Amino acid sequence: MASVALSEAEKVYIVHGVQEDLRVDGRGCEDYRCVEVETDVVSNTSGSARVKLGHTDILVGVKAEMGTPKLEKPNEGYLEFFVDCSASATPEFEGRGGDDLGTEIANTLYRIFNNKSSVDLKTLCISPREHCWVLYVDVLLLECGGNLFDAISIAVKAALFNTRIPRVRVLEDEEGSKDIELSDDPYDCIRLSVENVPCIVTLCKIGCRHVVDATLQEEACSLASLLVSVTSKGVVTCMRKVGKGSLDPESIFEMMETGKRVGKVLHASLQSVLHKEESLGPKRQKVGFLG
Amino acid sequence: MLKSKTFLKKTRAGGVMKIVREHYLRDDIGCGAPGCAACGGAHEGPALEPQPQDPASSLCPQPHYLLPDTNVLLHQIVSAWRPGTWASVASSLRLPGSLETYVEQEQGENANDRNDRAIRVAAKWYNEHLKKMSADNQLQVIFITNDRKNKEKAIEEGIPAFTCEEYVKSLTANPELIDRLACLSEEGNEIESGKIIFSEHLPLSKLQQGIKSGTYLQGTFRASRENYLEATVWIHGDNEENKEIILQGLKHLNRAIHEDIVAVELLPKSQWVAPSSVVLHDEGQNEEDVEKEEERERMLKTAVSEKMLKPTGRVVGIIKRNWRPYCGMLSKSDIKESRRHLFTPADKRIPRIRIETRQASTLEGRRIIVAIDGWPRNSRYPNGHFVRNLGDVGEKETETEVLLLEHDVPHQPFSQAVLSFLPKMPWSITEKDMKNREDLRHLCICSVDPPGCTDIDDALHCRELENGNLEVGVHIADVSHFIRPGNALDQESARRGTTVYLCEKRIDMVPELLSSNLCSLKCDVDRLAFSCIWEMNHNAEILKTKFTKSVINSKASLTYAEAQLRIDSANMNDDITTSLRGLNKLAKILKKRRIEKGALTLSSPEVRFHMDSETHDPIDLQTKELRETNSMVEEFMLLANISVAKKIHEEFSEHALLRKHPAPPPSNYEILVKAARSRNLEIKTDTAKSLAESLDRAESPTFPYLNTLLRILATRCMMQAVYFCSGMDNDFHHYGLASPIYTHFTSPIRRYADVIVHRLLAVAIGADCTYPELTDKHKLADICKNLNFRHKMAQYAQRASVAFHTQLFFKSKGIVSEEAYILFVRKNAIVVLIPKYGLEGTVFFEEKDKPNPQLIYDDEIPSLKIEDTVFHVFDKVKVKIMLDSSNLQHQKIRMSLVEPQIPGISIPTDTSNMDLNGPKKKKMKLGK
Repeated sequence: MASVALSEAEKVYIVHGVQEDLRVDGRGCEDYRCVEVETDVVSNTSGSARVKLGHTDILVGVKAEMGTPKLEKPNEGYLEFFVDCSASATPEFEGRGGDDLGTEIANTLYRIFNNKSSVDLKTLCISPREHCWVLYVDVLLLECGGNLFDAISIAVKAALFNTRIPRVRVLEDEEGSKDIELSDDPYDCIRLSVENVPCIVTLCKIGCRHVVDATLQEEACSLASLLVSVTSKGVVTCMRKVGKGSLDPESIFEMMETGKRVGKVLHASLQSVLHKEESLGPKRQKVGFLG
Repeated sequence: MLKSKTFLKKTRAGGVMKIVREHYLRDDIGCGAPGCAACGGAHEGPALEPQPQDPASSLCPQPHYLLPDTNVLLHQIVSAWRPGTWASVASSLRLPGSLETYVEQEQGENANDRNDRAIRVAAKWYNEHLKKMSADNQLQVIFITNDRKNKEKAIEEGIPAFTCEEYVKSLTANPELIDRLACLSEEGNEIESGKIIFSEHLPLSKLQQGIKSGTYLQGTFRASRENYLEATVWIHGDNEENKEIILQGLKHLNRAIHEDIVAVELLPKSQWVAPSSVVLHDEGQNEEDVEKEEERERMLKTAVSEKMLKPTGRVVGIIKRNWRPYCGMLSKSDIKESRRHLFTPADKRIPRIRIETRQASTLEGRRIIVAIDGWPRNSRYPNGHFVRNLGDVGEKETETEVLLLEHDVPHQPFSQAVLSFLPKMPWSITEKDMKNREDLRHLCICSVDPPGCTDIDDALHCRELENGNLEVGVHIADVSHFIRPGNALDQESARRGTTVYLCEKRIDMVPELLSSNLCSLKCDVDRLAFSCIWEMNHNAEILKTKFTKSVINSKASLTYAEAQLRIDSANMNDDITTSLRGLNKLAKILKKRRIEKGALTLSSPEVRFHMDSETHDPIDLQTKELRETNSMVEEFMLLANISVAKKIHEEFSEHALLRKHPAPPPSNYEILVKAARSRNLEIKTDTAKSLAESLDRAESPTFPYLNTLLRILATRCMMQAVYFCSGMDNDFHHYGLASPIYTHFTSPIRRYADVIVHRLLAVAIGADCTYPELTDKHKLADICKNLNFRHKMAQYAQRASVAFHTQLFFKSKGIVSEEAYILFVRKNAIVVLIPKYGLEGTVFFEEKDKPNPQLIYDDEIPSLKIEDTVFHVFDKVKVKIMLDSSNLQHQKIRMSLVEPQIPGISIPTDTSNMDLNGPKKKKMKLGK
């Protein structure tokens, strides 16, 4: 992962600051940086979102394509994740340099969505055992400024919220062969319920305290961090420890509690932003680099 | 301004694709109204009339423009497309100011609603815009739609809107326009008896599925000329079996019309039928005849042997309609005051069409054009509407128009777009033209053509070189210099394909300026030419061939007769005459050599009409006379064509346009061999050479005309010569000319094929540049297909024109008796040829209301024995010729036997004409 080189003095400065609940950029330990969210930014996807979190810049596109359901879940559709670490984020990603990170993030995404409640996969089924929608969630990492996982999870949620799946009908003729008919009204489409889609809150252990939404510099001072994926109701769907340091059970418990608390607030504000944007309708002026 | 347009599309694999297109909205389209300051510079394209002519509508008295919606325009284009009445429609087709009038699809609105709204927005914009333009001149835009909801919404939005019918009815000045409205109104169909006659057509998606799975077959529907209850479907694709499927009975035909692309379902073998030999014409007038129809259908199913049964099917759906406007006549309804009448098309393969008109009495006895609108399930006949009145039956202009329309000959005057590509007059040869061109103006070139020819496309010269050899040049008008590839002029000529020569009219392929002036190699003017120059020895052996673009100055335009006269008169020794003599000498050698190789000299009775200079009625017929000079010109044209064919094939082996004449299958010759055998002559048909030789030997001292008759018969055995692209075929042989390769190069003014060949040759010699389409063999193959079709149609039109003039001739001449020779013997008739008029006709021996004479037909000899008289092929008979006008639509020449006399069959020679016009003629009518 992208990293910065910090001198010992800088590290001490950061650690001491966190101790006092005052971070280098003036935030408290449980404060997020300013998040910018814009949806419907790539017109040829079914849903898309771009999220900027400090210097972290993420673009997510969701493409709905027709496929066959998985054997073990004949009446459900499924999601596929792919993370592309663009070399424009950091030169380290050049060539196959970003593949490991990409796979790691994609695997994490698979894990946090690997439960019945996060997305209602049954709505993605068109005809059991034959046709279902497959949502290809493509994440493009444009810039790394720390706290990738949180930014990506926010962007995925926003993109899923924005996703419009065309409504199709299955017609069956007398010979039993099925034909799929597409509605000719472009506004006639399925929306996904994203209420239970979790977001990741990463808690970085710095000194004996932990912070959310760590910057690159802060990440460099941390030996271990905990990813907690939380739904808007505060339910933890998945948890993962990253980093080479170790965490004692007590602080893990503390971090989980913080994660739940911060996660709920994060969901609430994300939801309100998304609804506000939605209410502007299709005539909304697009901003940002794709606008 | 840029907008993006997003829509979903189903892919062939079954997936769904989201497609995003960038949409640039223009801001430079003006309203088209002249004098509009707001749209100042944006006046391009067609303009609106400054003061729309007042069509005198009682609904909106002030001048106005019309803005029809898409459906109205599509369905009523025929009525709209009439100058003077709806002229404003055509120019208001465009939607101006697309920035202001752009409309995006809204939620809950389907694509059609969106389009309707867009048109309404445009209408509103127009009204507001025109108001701004000038306050005193209140022009209005009237919105025409047939959609009730759309109209209501428009009126709500303050746009004056009417339905098409309302508006047309209000046009007090043009009451006849209402007839032209395509009948779409639903009430119209309800009057029909509610009984469903036909089964439903399946939707296209099902048909495609069925065709894919093999349950249905796709093919072209070909109605039978003889029997309206029967048709065949030619199955597309190349599966060998079931190539042709028979359909029998109205229900199985299921509203398909000649030339439609249909899907058919094969019936089980137990229901297969044989093609019936009964001649049936639709005479029913009412719907109630359906039961009778069924009776008739049973009549078709006569007992037949197993072997005769053919695959039989029924139409399940229509893939593509191929309707066109049809020529024909009105059969006025028996009920007085009725507005619904049946229309009988001239083409017997087209069913009768029901039309609604108030002008039945004026249209009676005239040739009219009718378009089909639809064919509901409960209607015995398709519904249509009146389009155009061509004129009185029998009028020369009307009949010419009819035969041009029926043979699909494009004959409209050239459009402005086409004419814009003509060179500006006065035209002269410039420096630029001289590039890549040789100056041959000093040569003594002359042209030899039939009298009265204005499109001279070939000229010749011959001179002795210093080395003792002869230089012979064929100079062809350089049409490809004027017709540049791809422009409107080129496209139009490509579409026309050929100039069509009718008896008293010529339908040009290229505008007259080119055909009769700039490209015509007239004498004493400089003309651009494409020359083919050979160096030959006195034995007519080619030593050197050269092709070049050139400039020539013809010294004389001669007719065949004049040229012949010069050659024959010993005291003329000028340059032209020596040149002609040299050519003639070489031509004789060339011809001899060609015949030795096995080229056929065939014959067909060609006639020319002597026209009355005042009335343009034919006053006499004359068979064409052939002179030595005819064959002289022909010989050099053949030589040029062959040389060019070799050259372009050498240069472009994959995409040379060539002409081939396939050898006929041996079975074609059967009739010729049999006929000759009956006269104790032997005709060998194994090769072209043996055929030519045996034809030469087949002479009878007592019967000099026999040889010509045999040659006429041999012509009938031949196949059609066709154009093709060398890359798409591997058989190049020209059977008739006995040449391994052949093309058309010598008549670019009247044949488009020659224009292409000129272009190919010009590229080959580096005199012109190529273009992509020229070297695309698929494009070339498409061109060939069109050319072959046009040539065939031109030939048919020509024959039809001759037939019509023959009728006119006999109409004026009354009834005549002439000597004739039997060409074919049929089961119940003989086909005879009257050499004097080059006229062919059929003498029938079976008449409906008479006891049938005893007919014994022998296929082997072939001969027909009637009572005691036996008829063989080539027998001399005497026939009476008269015009049968019992069927106004299809007037024809009727012939009846005079000699040899057979009691009860032949007509006594001494009956006066008066007598014949009376009761006898009536009998003739019935004997159809």
